[in-house]
Amino acid sequence: MQYQTEHYQAESWGYYMPMRSMHMADPLERVGRLVSKSAVVIFSVSSCCMCHALKRLFCGMGVNPTVYELDQDPRGKEIERALMRLLGSSSAVPVVFVGGKLIGAMDRVMASHINGSLVPLLKEAGALWL
Amino acid sequence: MAFISATCPDSSFFLEYKDENGLLRKSCMAASHRVVGDTGLSDSGPSSSTHHVPYATVLHGINAPSTSFLHQEGSTFDFGELEEAITRQVRNDEAQAPLFTGRPAATLEMFPSWPMRYHQTPRVGSSKSAGGESTDSGSQMNTTTLASKGDQTQLEPESPMSKIASSSNHHHQQHQALDQNHLQFQQQNQQLQKDMPISDTSRATTVATGATEASKGQSAPKSNHEKRKGAGSTSENKQLDAKTLRRLAQNREAARKSRLRKKAYVQQLESSRIKLTQLEQDLQRARAQGLLMGGCGGGFGNISSAAAIFDMEYARWLEDDHRHMSELRTGLQAHLSDNDLRIVVDGYISHYDEIFQLKGVAAKSDVFHLITGMWASQAERCFLWMGGFRPSDLIKMLTQQLDPITEQQVMGICSLQHSSQQAEEALTQGLDQLHQSLIDTIAGGPVVDGMQQMAVALGKLSNLEGFVRQADNLRQQTLHQLRRILTVRQAARCFLVIGEYYGRLRALSSLWASRPRESMMSDDNSCQTTTDLQMVQPSQNHFPSF
Repeated sequence: MQYQTEHYQAESWGYYMPMRSMHMADPLERVGRLVSKSAVVIFSVSSCCMCHALKRLFCGMGVNPTVYELDQDPRGKEIERALMRLLGSSSAVPVVFVGGKLIGAMDRVMASHINGSLVPLLKEAGALWL
Repeated sequence: MAFISATCPDSSFFLEYKDENGLLRKSCMAASHRVVGDTGLSDSGPSSSTHHVPYATVLHGINAPSTSFLHQEGSTFDFGELEEAITRQVRNDEAQAPLFTGRPAATLEMFPSWPMRYHQTPRVGSSKSAGGESTDSGSQMNTTTLASKGDQTQLEPESPMSKIASSSNHHHQQHQALDQNHLQFQQQNQQLQKDMPISDTSRATTVATGATEASKGQSAPKSNHEKRKGAGSTSENKQLDAKTLRRLAQNREAARKSRLRKKAYVQQLESSRIKLTQLEQDLQRARAQGLLMGGCGGGFGNISSAAAIFDMEYARWLEDDHRHMSELRTGLQAHLSDNDLRIVVDGYISHYDEIFQLKGVAAKSDVFHLITGMWASQAERCFLWMGGFRPSDLIKMLTQQLDPITEQQVMGICSLQHSSQQAEEALTQGLDQLHQSLIDTIAGGPVVDGMQQMAVALGKLSNLEGFVRQADNLRQQTLHQLRRILTVRQAARCFLVIGEYYGRLRALSSLWASRPRESMMSDDNSCQTTTDLQMVQPSQNHFPSF
């Protein structure tokens, strides 16, 4: 598992972006950027037990997910709100992205694992090697 | 004073009228009701059933505007019987609040609460009969003399009975003259009081004897006169007599009604108490059998309403489960077509979906009830995992029962078992972390922070619901996946096995709960007796006299 903090650096957007507007970048865009960087991305809160369960699930499968602890991110609140809107639920975390695509919260992850669709996705994203 | 309206139910009716003060009043005429009313306003009815029929004709008249009533003859009306009925009723009542002192020894105790000044209480009864007679006779003379009318009206201030007498008399008269009658009565009242200042007691005796023995007609008006005089001479304010009497009568009526209400309430309480003790006994019995609450013992009284509701719904679900099982059994034995069997199997799946949904609802209000398994049988509770069955255990149990089975199916079942195990492990670790965090919150920190600590702990506890829901979600997904892997026939057999397995667990629980325990008790007893013997001997030594 890799814990990453956001690097506030100019992105190669093709045009110059001042530092300030970086801070005001759409959180959803940020999310999009983050999830495309790793095969398995988990947004979590360090004190949340369900997030812990989800992390343990992936680790138990032998996957090495990239975890973003939103309570340790200065702009975590924005991301949290954006995720809430994305999921359409009152709790943003935990949420999993595999191969840049949204899998969902804990219940969806478990359902997809039970019905056997999660492992192929993981293999596809390169997170699992059998 | 005019009659406003009247209704006539079977044996009682109400008459609405305006009294002299212009207040709308209602008087009920029935066997069980006393007459409440003012002079010439209240209506009376025969209390005895024998008069029901003749009175019915009178009642019919009442339905029409009051004028028709007035043409009825009073001869059908027997005041004597009415008096007796009311007397009986008065006697049946409990002792009234002693508002008034002075209950003279009475030949006929009609109104025990009658005030001191009305020494003629006994006379009232006798005079009443006389009055009744007099009104009977009076009614015949009514149209002729206003004086006799006045006599009859004189009865009213002294007793409701007399009111009855006079009022019915009034009815027999022209009601347009009611106002005049009232005025006349008042005039006569004052007149009599002025004219005859004789002591009550002497009058009482004379009148009493006179009333009982005298012939009808003549003596009655005289007794009425004297009664009126007695009343007048003792009262300070003659004008208030009528009002006071009315008030007194109303008070009595109200007191009577409240007594009856109290009686009814006490009876209700008694019956509820009996019902409660019966219910408690039933519950004790059921609890002993470990059926209802799974032997939760001391915690029984603390069951929440959400938990109780869920228990009821679960019991109903178990009955449904039984039904589904028999459907599956008969479906398999009857070799139903795949389509038909599919319907049955899908029905069973949705049956399980239902209980998971119910558990989800219950988890919102009482997660502890679910997670501690108080809803399940004891054996089930023993092997409970996060508020229900452990999916991997179920699959392990099933793999032995399911054959013939293809290679692909075997692999599917294996991966299902594997993934459910991983998911269970993850959830268990998550719950462990919650537990640890809760321990840290409650154990750590100074006592000063008590409330803050508790608030944080409460927040953490709320995560329990999420875990139970995820566990149920896992169970549901496992069952659905099973359905997908297996053929219809295999699935039917599989669900039958599952249902029978849990049914046997439940049966095991009830057998265990109701197993005989004498063997245990005898061991205890043997220990007890030895100690008892040791105890007894010293005590015997201490008390040789015994």
